[in-house]
Amino acid sequence: MIRVGVDVGGTFTDIVLERSLPGGDQQVFVHKVSSTPADQSEGVVRGIVEICGHADVKPADIDFVFHGTTVATNMVIERNGAEVGMITTKGFRDIMHMGRHKRPHNFSLQFDVPWQSKPLVKRRNRIAVTERLMPPTGNIEVPLNLDEVKHAADLFAKRKLDAVVISFLFSFLNDVHEQKAKEIVKAAMPNAFVCTSSEVVNVMREYERFSSCAMNAYIGPKTSTYLNNLEGRLRHAGVKASVRIMQSNGGISTIDNSSKLPIGLLLSGPAGGVMGGRWTGENSGKQNVITIDIGGTSADISVIEKGELRVKNPRDTEVAGLPVLVPMIDIDAIGAGGGSIAYIDAGGAFRVGPRSAGAVPGPACYGKGGTEPTVTDAQVVLGRLDIDQFLGGDLKIEGSLSHTAVDTHIAKKLGLSVTDAAIGILKIINNNMALAINSNSVAKGVDPRNFTLMGFGGAGPLHAVALAEMIHAKDVISPAHPGITAAMGLLVTELRYEFTRSVLTVLNTAGEAEFASINASFDKLLSEARAQLDADSIPAVEQVFTKIAECRYVGQGFELRAELPAEALTKGNVDVAIRNFFNAHKQVYGHAFEDQMVEVVTLRVVATANVETLKLPKLEKGGQKNPEAAKLYVRDTVFDDGKPTPTTRFARGKLKDGDTVSGPALIVQHNSTTLVPPGYLATVLTYGDIHVARS
Amino acid sequence: MSKTVDPITLQVVAGALHAIAEQMGNVLYRMSYSSIIRESQDLGAGLFDKDFNTLCESDSTPMHIGSLPGYLRGIEKTIPLDAWKPGDCVIHNHPYYGASHSPDIAIVMPVFYEGELVGFAGNTAHHVDIGAATPGLIIDVPDMYAEGMLLNGLKLYNEGVRNESLWRYIRDNTRVPSLVMGDLEAQIASAELGVRRFQELLATYTKETVIQSCHQLMDYSESMLRRAISEIPDGDYTAEGFLDDDGRNRGVTLPIKVTVKVRGDGVEVDLTGSSPQVPTAFNVPFEGSTKVACYFAFRALLLDTYTLADPIPANEGSFRPVKVTAPLGSIFNPIAPAAAEARFCQIQRVVDLIIKALAPVVPDKATAGNSATLSFAAYSGVRSSGDYWVFLEVNEAAMGARSTSDGPDTIEELMRNTRNNPLEDLGMHLPLICDRYEIRDDVFPGAGKFRGGAGVVKSQRFLSPGFVTHESDRHEDAPWGVFGGHPGMVGKMEVDNIFDPSKKRSAYAKFSGLRVDEGDVVSYFSPSGGGYGSPLERDPAKVLDDVLDDFISVEHAFEVYGVVFDDVDDGYGYAVNAAKTQTRRAELARA
Repeated sequence: MIRVGVDVGGTFTDIVLERSLPGGDQQVFVHKVSSTPADQSEGVVRGIVEICGHADVKPADIDFVFHGTTVATNMVIERNGAEVGMITTKGFRDIMHMGRHKRPHNFSLQFDVPWQSKPLVKRRNRIAVTERLMPPTGNIEVPLNLDEVKHAADLFAKRKLDAVVISFLFSFLNDVHEQKAKEIVKAAMPNAFVCTSSEVVNVMREYERFSSCAMNAYIGPKTSTYLNNLEGRLRHAGVKASVRIMQSNGGISTIDNSSKLPIGLLLSGPAGGVMGGRWTGENSGKQNVITIDIGGTSADISVIEKGELRVKNPRDTEVAGLPVLVPMIDIDAIGAGGGSIAYIDAGGAFRVGPRSAGAVPGPACYGKGGTEPTVTDAQVVLGRLDIDQFLGGDLKIEGSLSHTAVDTHIAKKLGLSVTDAAIGILKIINNNMALAINSNSVAKGVDPRNFTLMGFGGAGPLHAVALAEMIHAKDVISPAHPGITAAMGLLVTELRYEFTRSVLTVLNTAGEAEFASINASFDKLLSEARAQLDADSIPAVEQVFTKIAECRYVGQGFELRAELPAEALTKGNVDVAIRNFFNAHKQVYGHAFEDQMVEVVTLRVVATANVETLKLPKLEKGGQKNPEAAKLYVRDTVFDDGKPTPTTRFARGKLKDGDTVSGPALIVQHNSTTLVPPGYLATVLTYGDIHVARS
Repeated sequence: MSKTVDPITLQVVAGALHAIAEQMGNVLYRMSYSSIIRESQDLGAGLFDKDFNTLCESDSTPMHIGSLPGYLRGIEKTIPLDAWKPGDCVIHNHPYYGASHSPDIAIVMPVFYEGELVGFAGNTAHHVDIGAATPGLIIDVPDMYAEGMLLNGLKLYNEGVRNESLWRYIRDNTRVPSLVMGDLEAQIASAELGVRRFQELLATYTKETVIQSCHQLMDYSESMLRRAISEIPDGDYTAEGFLDDDGRNRGVTLPIKVTVKVRGDGVEVDLTGSSPQVPTAFNVPFEGSTKVACYFAFRALLLDTYTLADPIPANEGSFRPVKVTAPLGSIFNPIAPAAAEARFCQIQRVVDLIIKALAPVVPDKATAGNSATLSFAAYSGVRSSGDYWVFLEVNEAAMGARSTSDGPDTIEELMRNTRNNPLEDLGMHLPLICDRYEIRDDVFPGAGKFRGGAGVVKSQRFLSPGFVTHESDRHEDAPWGVFGGHPGMVGKMEVDNIFDPSKKRSAYAKFSGLRVDEGDVVSYFSPSGGGYGSPLERDPAKVLDDVLDDFISVEHAFEVYGVVFDDVDDGYGYAVNAAKTQTRRAELARA
């Protein structure tokens, strides 16, 4: 079996190839090529072909290609998706123009409203037709006017639109009007991308459902073109493998399914990192992990508890300020990374980020025209990053430029030494990251004292110990390959689909009829789920289904997930569901009101199937303290006491299983440096991950 | 005086304070029950020192932000600083002791550290019903006693023990105890979180460092605002407008006069010349609302978070440069026991008039006339079970145009920034169904080089008999245009019946306890914003966009913008005829 993972980032495309050898051992190869932003698939295919060369395998022998892509996300951020038409309920043409009518800034008069200035569907292409469904049952008060739909479809055809959405009020109760309209549109526009709101997300809340559906259509045509191009290029290069695409929920899906529901791909990029983090945690015996993936401009934070990914509350799932009602891993992104710029503002305050020097011009030390000091420059000034070790010496940098930048823009202005200014830059950026970690953990009921902090991305292991101290995490893990953890994560994922239906029922008072209705809905969702896994050729015995009820107290506005028993819901076992909801509420808010009624809002079936997982080769047994063979050289490094300390550099590739390195030390590898401050001990683990804790 | 905290620690403490306030706000709205809090987020939360300075505040509804110090000063009248004990929790809503208005109930808990009172964690939230004369909202009532429960600095918890009698009293005096009591629980949880997080912060950085940091952060915010004020030439800047009526005496308009006195790096807002207080609830509590509106105006105008590169810490510092004067006995500083619950429309206009007064000297930062109003509807009825249902809805309006962009359409403007309720969620739970919610198409937004925002229309149909109270204004005095821009349009109300078209009638902007029947449809049409600059300077491509998007008609484009189109058979219908447009514009310019 040969499997390849490809993760496309802004600057680099990372590739991992894994080959199972007879006898059960596995070989792993890693590779990096420049990304090709105009068409990501170009870099993807080149990288795959090249890594095949390194591994000495034929492209045709690859069994699976797993791909994490930012194509869909970039389209939303850059707003260059499809021209979309919309057919909606008369009287409600502007649901997406009003949004939740809350402006994005409280204290501003000049603010922009992105959903009005850059709408997913222009008002001219939103056509309202006569029809009316009534709550709470979805009965038809006014039948759909078919002529109006036909007229709209013909107009859209004449306007040469790429995609059409059909979104009616209360369609989550009854999709008959949406389906009828879809047939008419399909007949008039056979080549258009057409979807209905209840197909994309079958849940209550019109703005979020309509906008999610519009988003799906907005990114639909180009995403499916991209995926088809990718498949074509791969075939052309002789790759016959099945291609699977990373989804926002941490699962993978087929090209076909991803082309129909591209909205599931919006976190395809960062999700791989979290999956890689979970897998690294398993390898190092850590079930509770907080991951922070630190790149050039931003850091992605997520929490893995007892080996489980956390799913974001659907009320918070947004992309570029627009709601996206699909399950996503709970990942918070903040504008803090190696390229974050430090400066003194007009009022004299010392600030770091979110403005970033990005890849161009990059930090001052790159010598590409950046003069403002960045976080990376602070690391260079303090001797925490060696200028001859950037990408293993492949990137030429100039340390004196970092020094000048920090001196000119910070130290002189505040009357500090350059060293203290650089320490200050790191303290402020670390504090920003620590606060963001807190709001993704402590604020959601997670106690970091029982968690391991895992920092990855090139810069992750430089910050990890400081962050762990600030959030009071138990210890730190630096993954074996911090720079390509996300690509590795693609090889450790599972097939995962989710199916939903809104059923609003009060559980405490539900009778036979209500339970029958809930169970019938579940049966329908389960059969949809089973059909999907069958279509992916997953044998029945490997198919796993989880039933979830998204509940709230009657009158509350925010739902939480409660797992349900596998068997049908009855008066006898409904308490289990209610109890699970109380527990979820208690964890998130610190309280549960056990005397109050619980209402289920949405039923959800999660269908999963495990696929084979990546295994890194075990390291050779070592067990030495500060092994001589791995020592590179000694240079001064400044830690938080502000004094230059002679600090040994170790070559990560030469460390063996069980070796320990006591701080102060730097452990250096091609694309990353692990900082071991004084008083800390680093221990090399079986698969090359490094554990760091107070000695 | 403590020694200055270094800039690095200062930045770290600033980040922590901001995060605490955000978490307090999150807990409050996520745990709450009523849609006005959980969906609309009509709330505010923060930390305060024992001099009642705001140290940090959640990024919630501007009206709530800045009102809590007033509540704390009011509470001090009944609970002096030395009477606080750890574990106490005080409830307060008295409009003459600092409250913003009586439905905005505050929950305040003291923060003790090493046995000493350091400050307070507190929040305010708008409650659905506090047992007033009419369900939810009131307008035409005789005095503050008709506003419902007045809670004047009462300890809801004594050293951690709940006062059960008070708890029961509140429960028995609201029409919707299930919502109100749940919302109070959420407020208490939020305040508790604030206390805990503040104590943790003190433990991490020492009390001295945190308190000194807070002072420096307040000084910083103050200096940022003073710097911006000092760029405005000294002088007195005046603007005037008027309100429709007080909700009882129809046809009697109420003047508002705003004089902004800029002196160096400080400013005074003088409301002298505005209407005397009125005999209904249409008065404004001075401490909790009038002052807060003026603070808001200068922050939004001069420290605009969209144009400013660096976030300014949200604290007391930004209030200090602004002095507010309103004569006692005026609508902006009434004398007890005048009712003062329906105060929002008036303060929106204060903010808008401050902008108008200063527009000539800060043209880049100002806007044309905003809707500057509120549509606050209380729908209610009695279910067959005998339980009341009460639903409070805030309807948005539109902004005036700005120097480089159109006014946003259909949006919460100025002092308010709530979220609307999902129509589908309401439909599933209430005997009310929304029949229409979209951009108002019976009028055009104010024309200009940049046009005003388009208003909204919302129609709610009753499925069973009930009551409506509506708090609004601006059916008379349209939002103005600026620098050659045209005015926007006033709002209107209609009541209709789907079974009997002959019952169609118009209504005043504000009315109390209107009885409605099954099939009655209450429709709100919001004002639309004024234009900025001459419409003849508007980019013809934008005029075409507005025609294609049905914001304006082809005729309006011709008459007002001087843009002429050719017919095109591309499914859209029109293209700009540049030559004819030039001629037409020259013609209009001469006229």
